[in-house]
Amino acid sequence: MTATPGLLDRYRAFQAQRAARETAAGWADREVAGGRSVGRARERAARLAELLDGAVDEHPDGLVVRVESPELAVPLDRAALATLPFSIDPQRPFVCLDTETTGLATGAGTVVFLVGLGRWDGQRFRVTQLFLPDHADEPAFLGILAAELPPDAWLVTYNGRSFDWPLLQARYRLHRRLPPAIGGHLDLLPVARLLFRHRLPDARLSSVESGVCGVERIDDLPGAFVPERYLAFLRHGEPGYLREVALHNEQDVRSLARLLGHLGEVLADPDGRPLADPGDLGRLARAYARQRRDEEALACFDAAGATLAARSMPDGPIGLEVLRERTWLAAERARLLRRMRRFDDALAGWAEVTRVGGRAGARAWIEIAKLHEHRRRDPAAALAAVDRADAMIARARLGGRIPAGLEADLAKRRARLRARLSRRRVRDAPAARLGWGSP
Amino acid sequence: MRLYAPAPADAVLERLLADPEAGQHFVHVRRLPERPARLVDPPTWLDERLRAALVGRGIERLYSHQAEALEALRAGNDVVVVTPTASGKTLCYNLPVLQAIADDPASRALYLFPTKALSQDQVTEFRELSTAARLEVAASTYDGDTPAPVRHVVRGAGQVVVTNPDMLHSAILPHHTKWFHLFEQLRYVVVDELHTYRGLYGSHVANVLRRLFRICEHYGSRPQLVSCSATIGNPLELAVRLTGRSPVLVDRNGAPSGARTIAVVNPPVVNPELGVRASSARMSAGLALAFLRADCQTIVFGSSRLQVELILTTLREALREGRGPWQRVRGYRSGYLPTERRAIERGLRNGEVLGVVSTNALELGVDIGRLDAAILCGFPGSIAGTLQRMGRAGRRERPSVHVLVAGSSPVDQYIAAHPEFLLDGTPEEARLDPENLHVLLAHVRAATFELPFDSGEVFGPGPADDLLAFLAEEGHVRQADDGRWYWASENFPAAEISLRSAAEENVIIIDRLGDRPQVIGEIDIFAARLLVHPKAIYLHGAQQYHVDELDWAQRKAFVRKVDVDYYTTAELAVTLKPLETFAEGPAAGGNRAWGEVMVSSLVSMFKKIRLETNETIGWGPVDLPELEMHTTAYWLSLDDDTVAGWRRDELDAALVGTGRLLRTVAAVLLMSDRRDLGLVTQVRSPHVERPTIYLYDAVPGGVGLAERLFERHAELVAGARSLVLVCPCTRGCPSCVGPSPDASPVDGKAAAIRLLAGLAGAGEAVSHAARPARGRRAGRPARAGRADTAAVQPAAR
Repeated sequence: MTATPGLLDRYRAFQAQRAARETAAGWADREVAGGRSVGRARERAARLAELLDGAVDEHPDGLVVRVESPELAVPLDRAALATLPFSIDPQRPFVCLDTETTGLATGAGTVVFLVGLGRWDGQRFRVTQLFLPDHADEPAFLGILAAELPPDAWLVTYNGRSFDWPLLQARYRLHRRLPPAIGGHLDLLPVARLLFRHRLPDARLSSVESGVCGVERIDDLPGAFVPERYLAFLRHGEPGYLREVALHNEQDVRSLARLLGHLGEVLADPDGRPLADPGDLGRLARAYARQRRDEEALACFDAAGATLAARSMPDGPIGLEVLRERTWLAAERARLLRRMRRFDDALAGWAEVTRVGGRAGARAWIEIAKLHEHRRRDPAAALAAVDRADAMIARARLGGRIPAGLEADLAKRRARLRARLSRRRVRDAPAARLGWGSP
Repeated sequence: MRLYAPAPADAVLERLLADPEAGQHFVHVRRLPERPARLVDPPTWLDERLRAALVGRGIERLYSHQAEALEALRAGNDVVVVTPTASGKTLCYNLPVLQAIADDPASRALYLFPTKALSQDQVTEFRELSTAARLEVAASTYDGDTPAPVRHVVRGAGQVVVTNPDMLHSAILPHHTKWFHLFEQLRYVVVDELHTYRGLYGSHVANVLRRLFRICEHYGSRPQLVSCSATIGNPLELAVRLTGRSPVLVDRNGAPSGARTIAVVNPPVVNPELGVRASSARMSAGLALAFLRADCQTIVFGSSRLQVELILTTLREALREGRGPWQRVRGYRSGYLPTERRAIERGLRNGEVLGVVSTNALELGVDIGRLDAAILCGFPGSIAGTLQRMGRAGRRERPSVHVLVAGSSPVDQYIAAHPEFLLDGTPEEARLDPENLHVLLAHVRAATFELPFDSGEVFGPGPADDLLAFLAEEGHVRQADDGRWYWASENFPAAEISLRSAAEENVIIIDRLGDRPQVIGEIDIFAARLLVHPKAIYLHGAQQYHVDELDWAQRKAFVRKVDVDYYTTAELAVTLKPLETFAEGPAAGGNRAWGEVMVSSLVSMFKKIRLETNETIGWGPVDLPELEMHTTAYWLSLDDDTVAGWRRDELDAALVGTGRLLRTVAAVLLMSDRRDLGLVTQVRSPHVERPTIYLYDAVPGGVGLAERLFERHAELVAGARSLVLVCPCTRGCPSCVGPSPDASPVDGKAAAIRLLAGLAGAGEAVSHAARPARGRRAGRPARAGRADTAAVQPAAR
C-alpha cells in the first residue's frame, strides 16, 4: 500500500456530492434505486441474448440467457469407456461441464457467470450455455442449472473436481440452497496428465486437444481475460465483450466431448489401439497395473509394443526418443510380468531392455540377477548377470556419471552371491537350499 | 542431594530485607493479605456429566465469578470477564460451550486467540475437560500450521474451532460457504485476551468481528459472545467497541490468593559523579538466585532478548558454582523454536523447570501454572503490563513475592521514587477506532466479497451505502439493478489487508558445525539485524554462538558455538525524511503539515562488552541494508521567533517532552494505541531547517492518523498543554513529558510548558504565510534527529 493523500478529504467531498445529488433528485429516484428496475435488467439480458443468438428465460427470481448451439456428431463408445481404469459409469448420462467465472480465487466473492453444458443424444452432441445477465439474477441462474442437470448426471470436466464444481456448490451454499445431486464426476485433467502430458508442453485443455485430437483453435480468448470481459459487461451493459467468452466456453465443452470420444475410440477399444500413441498406451497400461488389472495392462503394453515395432521397422537407425520410449515400455512390461509371476517372460523382457546398454541396460541386468537369485535359485546365473551389469557400467562411465547407489548395489549383491556360492560349494546342495528360503 | 534449604517465598523475601547489604535497596514493600475464595455451587442446570467432570478434576464448587458468568450467559447475555491471570477464566467459556453441546450435539463454537501457541494450549485444556465429561467433542485448531487434509475435516465436522483473528479474516470468512456447518450452528464466539486487541490491530479485529456476525446472520445464527480480558482501565468499553455488543461485565474475582508481597528495588548508585547505578539485570539475577536456592519457582522478566540471555547466563553460572539446579533454569523468548517453548511451558507446569527468564513473550496467557516469585527487571512501560507480569506468580495456597527492579532510565527512576504511581494508579486504557476510514473501507471491501450488501444494510456505525458508493467509483464494487451491492472484481480483498503491521518474515539461525547443520532458532527480521549481524555473539539458552555469516537474501544466519567473555550489542539509528507535503497550514508559533515521509532504520555498528565488568572492549561496523518504510506523518515546525534565545539542550528537552505529550493526546483523540504512532523530534530539521516534531503512522502506507492529527492540530496542542499543566509531578513523569534525568540541569517539564504556551495561545494573532513547500523533496535524511524507536522496532516478544 502506498500513502494515499487525503482519503478522508476525498471521502468527505464524495459524501457531500452524493447528498446533494440525492436531495436534488428527490425521493422518487431513491425508490427506483432501492427496488429492482426490471426494465433495465430485461434490456440488458435481451441485448446479450440477441448477440449470442439465444433466448431470455424468465424466472420468478430473475433472468437467464440461454444459448443452444447446433448439434454435432461426436461419437461415444460407452461400453469401451467403461473398461478404462477411471471413474466412469456408462449407464449414467454424461454431462460435459465448464464454467466461466469472475476470478480464480475460490472465495465467496467469485461468481460463476457462464455454465456450458454438453450432452449426448445418441451420437449427437449438443451444447447449452447458461448466462448470468446480472449479479441479481443468480437465484434464477442456479435454479435453472439445477433443473438442467439430471440427478444421476455423470459430470465430465477439466479440473472440475477442485475448481468448477466446488465453486458451483459454494454458490448454492451462499444462497442457502442444496447443491444439485450428481451421480459421479470424471475430471479429465488428472487423466490427461497421466496419459498425455509426457508428450505435451503443458496440460492445458487446448494443448491436449491439439496434441491428442489434432484440433487447433483459432483466435481463442486466453482464459485470463475472461473475468475482465464480464465485469466490463456488467459495468457498461455492452454484450460485445462476451462474444469471444461464449465461443471459448463452447470450445472447451466440445473439447471435453472430443477428448472423451478419443479415450473411448482409440485408447479403450482394442481395435482402436493401433492408432494410439504407444507412449499413451504405456501410461494407460500403468494405470491398469496400478489397479491390479494386469491382463488389461499387458494387452496395452503389447499393443504399444506392436505399434513401436511397426514404426521402427523401416530402414536403419532409429531416433533417440523412440529408443528411450521403447526402453521405458519394455522395462515397465517386464516389471509387470514379474509381478504376474511370469518369471520366464519377465527374464525375456529384461533381456530385451539390456540391448540398449548404458545405465538402463545395467539396471535391467540387475533385475535379471534378482530373478535368477530369488526366483530361479541360480546364484551362478545371478552372478553372471551382475558381471554383465558391471561391464555395462564400465562402458557407460566413459560417457557420463554413474549414480553412486547403482555401484554400491552391485557391490553388495556381488558379495552376497559370492558368499552364497562358496557356501554352496562346501555344503551339499539340497541342504543349503533350505537355508536360502524364499525371500 | 540438595545443598539448598527449601523455604516459602515470603520467608526468602524477609531474609533479604533483613540482610543489611541487600535490604537497603528495597525502596518500597507492600504486603497484601491472603484472600479466601468465594465459592458457590455449580448451577443446578449444569449437565450431570459436566458436574462429574468438575468433581473428577477436584472442582466441587465454582468461584463466584465463574458462576456469575455462567448465569449471565444462560440468561442470553454476552459476557466480558475481567479477572487476574489464572483465576479460572477458561471455565467461564468452556463450561457454557460444553453445556450447549451436551444439550444439542449440533452446537458449535468459535474460539479466537491472538497467537497460535495460545490456541494449542486451549485445545488441550478443552479436550481434557470434555474427555472427563465423557462428551465426544471435535475440538481443533485451525491456523497456518494445520495440514490441508485436517483442514477439510475441521471445516466439516469441527464443533469447537480454535483460531486467530488473522486466520478468520483471510481464510475462514472469505470461504464461509465451506464452513456453513459451523456458521449455521454457531452458539458461542469466545474472544480471549481481549486487551491485546487495541489500537490499529484492535480496529482491524473489530471489523473482522463485524464481518463474522454478518456471516452468522446470513446463516441464521446469533452466537453469544464470551470475552475475557486482563486488567486494564476500561475493559467494558473495550469490549463494546471491539465487538459491537453490550456485554455484561463480570469483574468480581472469586478466586483465592495466598498472601502477596510487592516490592520495589532500586539498585544503588555506584558512581556518584556520573549518577551511574548498579546494573538492574545483575540485581534481578541476585534476587532470583535467593528464591531459586530456596526451591521457589521463579520467573524473571527481562526487557529485551539480550537482557534475558544475560540474566540467564548469570543465573546458570552462579548455580553451577554452588552445584545448584542450574539445568532447571531456562530462557524463554521469541526466537526459540516452538517445540523448545512447549517443553519449557510443560516443565513449568509440572515443576521440572524451577526458574525461567523471559521477555514479554510470557506476558500473554500461555499456561505455565502459577509460580512463587516474579521478578521484573525494569518497568515494562505500563501499569497493565506490570500487573500482568506480576500475575505470573501467586499461588492459591502459598505466599508469593513480586519484585520490580528499577532500571536506570528516567521512567524507572520515577517509579522507584513514586511507587504509588504503579501500585495505586489506574491501569492504562485500551483504545481502538473501528471507524478509521482506511480500516473500515478495507473491511467493507472484504465484507462485500463475502456477501453482497443490501441497500441500507448497516455495517458498524450505520448504513454502508456511502462507503459502498465510494468504493464503486474505483470499480471494485457495483450496485446491481436490485439495489444490492456486489463485489465486482477479480481481486481477493482479504489478501490485501494484513491485520498486524509487524513483519512476519523470519531469519533462521543455523549452527553448521556439529554433526550436521541444525536450526537452533528463528528471529524476526527487525530483531535479526540487532542480534545476528556478522560477528555478533548470539546468546541462545545462555549458550554463546558466534555469527559467522548472515545471508540476508536467504534469511539465514550461520553460527558456531564459542566460549568468550564478552557479548555484543548493536545500535539502531532511526531517521525520518519527508518526501512530499500533502497539505500545510499556519499554526501558532510555527507551521503544521502532513505528508509522505520515509522512516528508515539502520544498524550501523556494534559494541563488544565484557561480561563481568560491562566495559566496552571493542566495536565494529555492521553492513546491512537499511529497512525503509514509506508512511504518512504529521509535523509541527517551530518559527525561529518562538524559540529565540533558547539553549540547545533546553530546546531538545522541550521538543522531546512536547512530542511525548502530543503523542499521548493523539492516541486518545484518535482512539489508537501509542504503538501506532512513531515520534521523531529534530532540533533543526534538514527539511524545513527549523525545530520540528514529527508524529508518523507506524504502518507502511499509513492509515490516516497523520491526516487527522493535522486537522485536529489545535485540539492536540490544547490537550497536551492541559495534560502537562494538571500533572502533579515536579520535573516530569511517565504520564506527561517523561521524567527528566537526575543528572540533567534542564527541567524538561518546565521547558515543555514554556514551548506549549508559545504554541497554544500567545502567537495566535501572528499569522504566518504558508511556505510553498508542497511537493518539495528533502535533500538529505535527518540523521541528527532523536527518535523514539519503539514504534519502528517492535518490542521483544
